[in-house]
Amino acid sequence: MATVEAVAGQMAHAHHDDRSFLRRYIFSTDHKMIGIQFLFACLFFLLVGGLLAMLIRWQVAFPGKPLPFGGIFPETMAPNGIILPEFYNALVTMHGTFMIFFAIMPLLVGVYANYLIPLKLGAPDMAFPRLNMMSFWLFVSSGIIMLASFFVEGGPSAAGWTVYAPLSAVPEYSGVSAGQQLWIVSIVFFAASSLLGSVNYITTVINMRAPGMTLFRMPLSIWSLFITAILALLAVPILAGALVMLLFDQTIGTTFFLPEHGGQPLLWQHLFWFFGHPEVYILILPAMGMVSDIIANGSRKPIFGYHSMVFAIAGIAFLGWIVWGHHMFQSGMNPLLGTSFMVSTMAIAVPTAIKVCNWLATMWRGNIQFHTPMLNATAFVAMFTVGGLSGIFMASNSLDIFIHDTYFIVAHIHYVLFGGSLFAIFAAIYFWYPKMFGRMMNETWGKVHFALTFVFYNLVFFPMHIIGIGGHMRRIYDPTQYTFMQPMQPMNRFITISAFLLFVSQIPFVINFFWSLFKGKKAEINPWRDNGLEWTVPSPPAHGNFEITPTVYRGPYEFSSPEVDEDFLPQTTPLNGDRRTAPEQVPGD
Amino acid sequence: MSDAVVMSGGVHAEPGMRVYNQKLGMWVFLTSEVMFFTGLIGSYLILRSAPGVEWALPGEVLNVPLTAFNTFILICSSVTMVKAFAAIESGDQKGLRLYLVATVVLGAFFVGVQGFEYYKLIEEGFLPHCGEELAALVPSCHLYGSTFYTMTGFHGTHVSIGVLCMIWVTVKAFRGKYTQGDHGGVEVIGLYWHFVDLVWILLFTIVYLI
Amino acid sequence: MEGKKQPYMFIFGALAVLTVVEVGVAFIGLPRTLTIWVLVFLAVWKALLVALYFMHLKFEPLRLVLLAAAPLPLPFVLVLIVLVEYAR
Repeated sequence: MATVEAVAGQMAHAHHDDRSFLRRYIFSTDHKMIGIQFLFACLFFLLVGGLLAMLIRWQVAFPGKPLPFGGIFPETMAPNGIILPEFYNALVTMHGTFMIFFAIMPLLVGVYANYLIPLKLGAPDMAFPRLNMMSFWLFVSSGIIMLASFFVEGGPSAAGWTVYAPLSAVPEYSGVSAGQQLWIVSIVFFAASSLLGSVNYITTVINMRAPGMTLFRMPLSIWSLFITAILALLAVPILAGALVMLLFDQTIGTTFFLPEHGGQPLLWQHLFWFFGHPEVYILILPAMGMVSDIIANGSRKPIFGYHSMVFAIAGIAFLGWIVWGHHMFQSGMNPLLGTSFMVSTMAIAVPTAIKVCNWLATMWRGNIQFHTPMLNATAFVAMFTVGGLSGIFMASNSLDIFIHDTYFIVAHIHYVLFGGSLFAIFAAIYFWYPKMFGRMMNETWGKVHFALTFVFYNLVFFPMHIIGIGGHMRRIYDPTQYTFMQPMQPMNRFITISAFLLFVSQIPFVINFFWSLFKGKKAEINPWRDNGLEWTVPSPPAHGNFEITPTVYRGPYEFSSPEVDEDFLPQTTPLNGDRRTAPEQVPGD
Repeated sequence: MSDAVVMSGGVHAEPGMRVYNQKLGMWVFLTSEVMFFTGLIGSYLILRSAPGVEWALPGEVLNVPLTAFNTFILICSSVTMVKAFAAIESGDQKGLRLYLVATVVLGAFFVGVQGFEYYKLIEEGFLPHCGEELAALVPSCHLYGSTFYTMTGFHGTHVSIGVLCMIWVTVKAFRGKYTQGDHGGVEVIGLYWHFVDLVWILLFTIVYLI
Repeated sequence: MEGKKQPYMFIFGALAVLTVVEVGVAFIGLPRTLTIWVLVFLAVWKALLVALYFMHLKFEPLRLVLLAAAPLPLPFVLVLIVLVEYAR
C-alpha cells in the first residue's frame, strides 16, 4: 500500500536526512518540528496575552493615571497614555482570547499532542503529516488575523472572549465592527486548525501504536491528549457554526441572535457554552495527563490507580457535555434546568477528586526528586485543587447568583488555568526540553523561576477571591466609581504590583529557555530515568523517530521495580518472562 | 482491508480500528461534521420551537417540487458514487471512470439547481433579511430566511467542495492511479459524498417538508 | 463485503420511493403532529439506508460503527435541554 511505502521512505530518512532547510524547519511535516513550531508561536502569544493583562491591571489599580510608556498608543486607544473605556473592553477581550485560544490550548494540544503522541506510542510520525503541517499554518494565520484586528478602525473585538450576542452582533453596541469580524474569521481558522489536529491525533492513537502498546499500556499523558482530541473534535465545530451565524448576523442581515426579529441572544449562550464547557476540559485534561507522567517519575513510584485515572479522565470528558448551563445561571433559566445543571456540575468533583487523591497517593512515601518539572507538577496539584474547590462553590445555583461576574470568578479561572494548566505547561517544558532540543535547561534558574512564579502568582490571584466576595465586579473599567468598592483599592494596587512582579518573574524562564538552546548542558538519551518510549531514542530524535519499531512489554510507570537493579524499567526492556514474538499475525497478510 | 495492522516497512502494529488510516481519518472527520450540522440544525429547531414563533407552511415560500427533483439528483449521484466504488473493487477501470464522471456531473447539477432556486427566491424578495412586503405575508420571515440560507448554503458549500475533490479523484482515475487492490481514495471521497447526501436527506425533510 | 453483490439499485429504488412518499405525506393534509412524526421516521430511515449500505457501515467492524455513532447523542442533549427552557 502507498502509505506503507511512504512511511518506509520516512524511515530511511532517519539515517540520512537530506531535506532542504525550508522542508526541515519551516514547512516541515515532521511531528516533532511542528510541535516545536507550535511551542515558539504559543510562547509568543503567551507573551502578548501577558502584556495585555499588565495593561488591564494598571487601569484597575490606577484608574485615570497615564500608563508608563503610554505614549506608544494611538489617540483612539489611550490618549496621553490614559486607557479609554472602549480600549479597556478590548484589552479584556483580547487577553482572554489570546490566553485561551492562542496560548493555553495550543500549548497543551498543539505542542505536546504533536510532540508526544507518535514518540510515546512508537510511531514514525502522525497518521497525516501534511494535514499536520496545514494545521500549524492555519493556526499561524489565525493568530496573525487576530493580531491584525488591533490595527483596524474601531480596534479589536470588545465583547468579551465569549462574544455574547447581541453585543457582538450589532456593531453600534460595542463600537467595533471590523475588529469583531476579524475575531470571528480568526477563530474559524483556528477551528479548522484544531479540527485537522484532532483528526490526526485520534487516528494516530487508534491505529499507529507500536506492537505491545495496548490501550491500557499508554501513558496517561497520551490518554488525556486522546480524550482531549475527541472533545475538541466534537466541540469546536459547534463554535464554528455559531460563529458563522454571528458573522452572518453582522454582514448579510440574518437575525439568529437579534431579538427584534425573533432571534434569541440566549441561543448564542447555549451554543457557545455547549462548546465552551468541553473547551474548559480541553484546557485542563492534557495538563492532568502530563502531570501524572511527571509525578510518577518524580516520585519514583508507579502511578497510583492507573485505571481509575483513565476512567476519571473519560468521566470528566463525558460529564463536560451536560453541564454547560452552569455558565448561564444568571440568564433566568428554568429552575428545573438550573438544578439539574448544578447537580451534574457537582458530580464532576468525583472524578476530579479521584485524580487528586491518586496524585497524592502516588507521592505518598515515594522517593521524591524535587527537580524543576516535579516542583511545577506538585504546584499544579495544589493550585488546581484550590481552583477546583472554588469551582464547587460556583456550581451551586444560589451562591453563583451572588458571585457571578465578580473577581471570585476571575480568581477561580486563573487558579485553574494559570495555577493548573500553566504550571503543568512549565513542568512539561522543563521535562521534555532535553528531548526536544538535546540540551538541558539550567536547573538552578528553573527553580528560581518556579519559586518566584509560585509566590507572586498566589499574591496576585488569592486576594481576588476576597475582593470578589466583597462584590468587586470583573471587567470593570474604574472600580473607584462606586463608594462601596473604594476600600478595596489598596488591595487592587497590591494585586497589580504583584502582577507586575509575576510578569518580571518570567524573565529567568525566557533567558533560561533561549540560553539553554545554545549553551545548555548536552542531554543524555534518558536524563530523567523515565520509562517512556521517547527516552529510548537520541535527544533530539531523528526524523522518523525509531530506527526499528519498538516492541512494548509493559505499562509506562514501572518505577522502583524489584525485578531490576535500577529504579526504572523502560517499556521496551524485555524481562525473562516476556515473549519476544510479534503480536498476532493477520490471516491472509 | 487486511493491512490495517501493518505500520512501517511491514512491521506489525498493535491492532487499532482494523481499517486503514485514511478511512479512519475520514470517519473521524465526519463525526466532527455531524457536530457542525448539529449546531446549525439544532439552532433552527430551537428558534422555530420558541413560544410565539409561527412558521410558514411547507411550499408557501419554497419550491418543493423543484427541490424534490434536486434531492433525487443527489440520491442518483450517491448511487453512481457507490457504483464507481463497486467497479474498482472488481477491477473495472472503465466503470470507475464512467461512474465518477457521472457523479461529478450530477453533483455540479445539484449545485446549479440550488443556485437557480436561490436566484428565484431572491427575485421574489426572499432574502436572509426578509424584504418589507414578504415580511408582512410570511410569519417569522426573518428567521425563516436566516435559517434557510444558512443551512442550505452550508450544505451547498459542502457539495461544492465535494465536487472539487471528486474532480481531482476523477483525474487520478483517468490516469489509472486506482487499482483493484489500492483504491482507498475512491472509498474515502465516497464516504464524504454519501455523508453530504445523508445530511441533505435530513435537511430536505426538516427545512422543506416540516 | 468483497465479492458479494450489493443491493445498490434496490437501495436506490427505496430512497427514490421514500422521497416521493415524503412529499406526498407533507401535502396530504394529515394532522400536523402526525405529519411531523411520519416525516421524521421516513427521513431517519432514508439516512440509515445511506449510512448502512452506501457508506458500508453494515459491513464494517463494530468498533467503527460505534465511533460513527458516538456523537449522535449530543444533538439530542443540546436540543432537548434547550427545549426544556420553553416548557414552563
